[in-house]
Amino acid sequence: MEIFYDVLIDPFVQMVEAPDFLLQVLWEGLVSGVLYALIALGFVLIFKSSRIFNFAQGIMVVFAALTLVGLHENGVPAWLAVPLTLGVMYVLAVGVERVVLRPLVGQPDIILFMATIGVTLFLIGFGEFVFGGENKVMITEALGIPTGAFEFYPFDGFLLIEQKDLTAVIMAVLLVIALITFLNRSSMGRAIRALGDDHQAALSVGISLSTIWVIVWFIAGVIALATGVVWGARAGVSFALEVIAYKALPVLMLGGLESVAGAIVGGLAIGILEKLFEIYWGQPFLGGNTETWFAFILALLVLLFRPQGLFGERIIERV
Amino acid sequence: MTKFSKIGAMLAAGGLALGVGVTSVAAETMYTPNMSYRTGPFAATGIPLMNGQRDYVNMLNARDGGVGGVMVDFEECETGYNTNKGVECYEKTKANAIVTQPWSTGITLQVLPRTNVDRIPILAPGYGFSPMSDGETFAWAFNPPVSYWDGASMIMNYISDGDMNSLEGQKIVLLHLDHPFGKEPLPLLEKYAEQYGFELVPVPVGLKEMQNQSAQWLQIRRERPDWVVMWGWGAMNAGALTEAAKTRFPMDKFVGVWWSGSDDDLLALGDKAKGYKSISWNAPGNFPVIDEIKTHVVDAGNSMIEDASDMDKIFYQRGVVMSMFLTEAIKTAQKHFDVGAVNAEQLRWGLENLNITEELLSEIGMSGMVAPFQMSCTNHTGHGGAWMLEWDGAKFVQASDLLKPDRASIEPLEKEKAAEYAQNNAPWPTRDSLPCE
Repeated sequence: MEIFYDVLIDPFVQMVEAPDFLLQVLWEGLVSGVLYALIALGFVLIFKSSRIFNFAQGIMVVFAALTLVGLHENGVPAWLAVPLTLGVMYVLAVGVERVVLRPLVGQPDIILFMATIGVTLFLIGFGEFVFGGENKVMITEALGIPTGAFEFYPFDGFLLIEQKDLTAVIMAVLLVIALITFLNRSSMGRAIRALGDDHQAALSVGISLSTIWVIVWFIAGVIALATGVVWGARAGVSFALEVIAYKALPVLMLGGLESVAGAIVGGLAIGILEKLFEIYWGQPFLGGNTETWFAFILALLVLLFRPQGLFGERIIERV
Repeated sequence: MTKFSKIGAMLAAGGLALGVGVTSVAAETMYTPNMSYRTGPFAATGIPLMNGQRDYVNMLNARDGGVGGVMVDFEECETGYNTNKGVECYEKTKANAIVTQPWSTGITLQVLPRTNVDRIPILAPGYGFSPMSDGETFAWAFNPPVSYWDGASMIMNYISDGDMNSLEGQKIVLLHLDHPFGKEPLPLLEKYAEQYGFELVPVPVGLKEMQNQSAQWLQIRRERPDWVVMWGWGAMNAGALTEAAKTRFPMDKFVGVWWSGSDDDLLALGDKAKGYKSISWNAPGNFPVIDEIKTHVVDAGNSMIEDASDMDKIFYQRGVVMSMFLTEAIKTAQKHFDVGAVNAEQLRWGLENLNITEELLSEIGMSGMVAPFQMSCTNHTGHGGAWMLEWDGAKFVQASDLLKPDRASIEPLEKEKAAEYAQNNAPWPTRDSLPCE
């Protein structure tokens, strides 16, 4: 009976006994969740418009952050480095469309997926050649991101909220609002959605596949830059950032590959739940480091009941 | 160094390697591959070390025409710190190699049994499997000048102020990479915890969590430890230091192993990391050998460092010391066997009889850079000792006299684990064909 108490009751007792600590856990989970959602959004956008699973999203985060820091290191002021980095991401989007995607139009999805692996390898090599593999410091202060912290004392306890984490959350929320507005209100956004719904039909009414692909890859580049700034501000900018892209995979499984809402809800759910599980169950009973697998188990459980994910489209294909 | 001169250095290195290959028919060379990682998540910490290693060998080649008149072919095989790629590199290079430098505890563990068969010595300075120190079991493996268990014992000695009994009732967190390297100190620390009555709380950090350690530091906040000892590498170090600063953990209660003491990781935090400590088996400073490297390699445009100031960094200088172990072992073997180009078996002997004395260090411009030590048939580590360094907000400064490992506690554990390893990997070769002289 003791084991049942330890596993099923005691964690909740701890939450009630130390509510300030619980709030800190929830905040940290929320921040992680927002960051996961940002990465997942990059995947969703490209998949939605082209049915391509963009394996290069992770390295795009690294490449964008390195470009920003690299430009600043070479004397470019931050206010100019940001638009220049966006310019580089636009050139990258055009390059990917012209060199990689356009020649492969009409090929099976798996071929396009393999092509994004090629883009990943190219960006790793090119990025290391240009910027080197050393750890770089994100230009947090030059970008005007506050680095202090707010301290609160709820329930006679202690809650610390870093201003850069708060900025990350606000920036992510604004980015998502802008993205949803763009997708729903602009003609280009509607064209992207149309292409996602039915390629042939969209092409037949004059929507340009190549233009849309460039725009979508560019938007994914913008998201990559935002993600790179936020993650880089936490622990520096290096090629290690690439591995965080893998954290988006269970988010996509949970939320569905085609859904913007799914990426956001999935990211937040995984961020918060994996943190709660790690702190109250993983560390005491399983030796910790459960965050490496918890999200996948959660996503698998969802897939058992909803194979298309929480918000994914149910596709029935006649064979 | 500009990007183009860096490319020039790489081409020159390639040309040198090619030249060495072409001329190998006419002139002797010694092939000493290094399993480097200038790419991937661990590149940031790997690059300065590999630059130091490479530049020291290039300096000897340029200044002295190699070692004992024989050029050293120092080729890098890129692993990205990936164990599978490391094994591939080992297999690719073993035919001509006189040494293997695996550069990761995971790769070392994989190639350890193979080197017995291929008869190539492993040189793993300051890393690898701690029981490799037992030369009677591991005839082909060497990890000078101190092992991880030596490091753990010196850290514990330092934080207890020399009285391990004072740790009774304290709580010590081991924040470690969830990888063979990160788990390496656990056997000794568990033994200490039992022996001296402190509570050891291991907190693993997964490879994907290196940059976001909020869960680990929430646990540390909940545990309220007296000390946090870090066994970190690559991006994990910067991630941990950032979280420690963020959660206001007292930096003077935070100590890292020698791989968690890179200037670059600390520079990002500056004053916020003031008081953080890292044990190191090389001391920082201005040494004549660094000036020699600058003259013969850096100024000649043959180095891959970005800036000459990188030579002052602790990891670069550690790389230099690592290559010194190799070249001094080569010299020892050359002298003993009276040959120019030594082979793998002769180098194994050279490593086993390596004696780094104060006189030698002074002669090669490294006095005070590393503690003197001597290896032997039974002692493949040397156990020279290390210093505690402290971050002063801008650089690491020496914070202790030379610390010595607790050999009385470690040696029986080494014997026990070495025997266990040999049993688990039976039939493990005995030293019948390599008797201790």
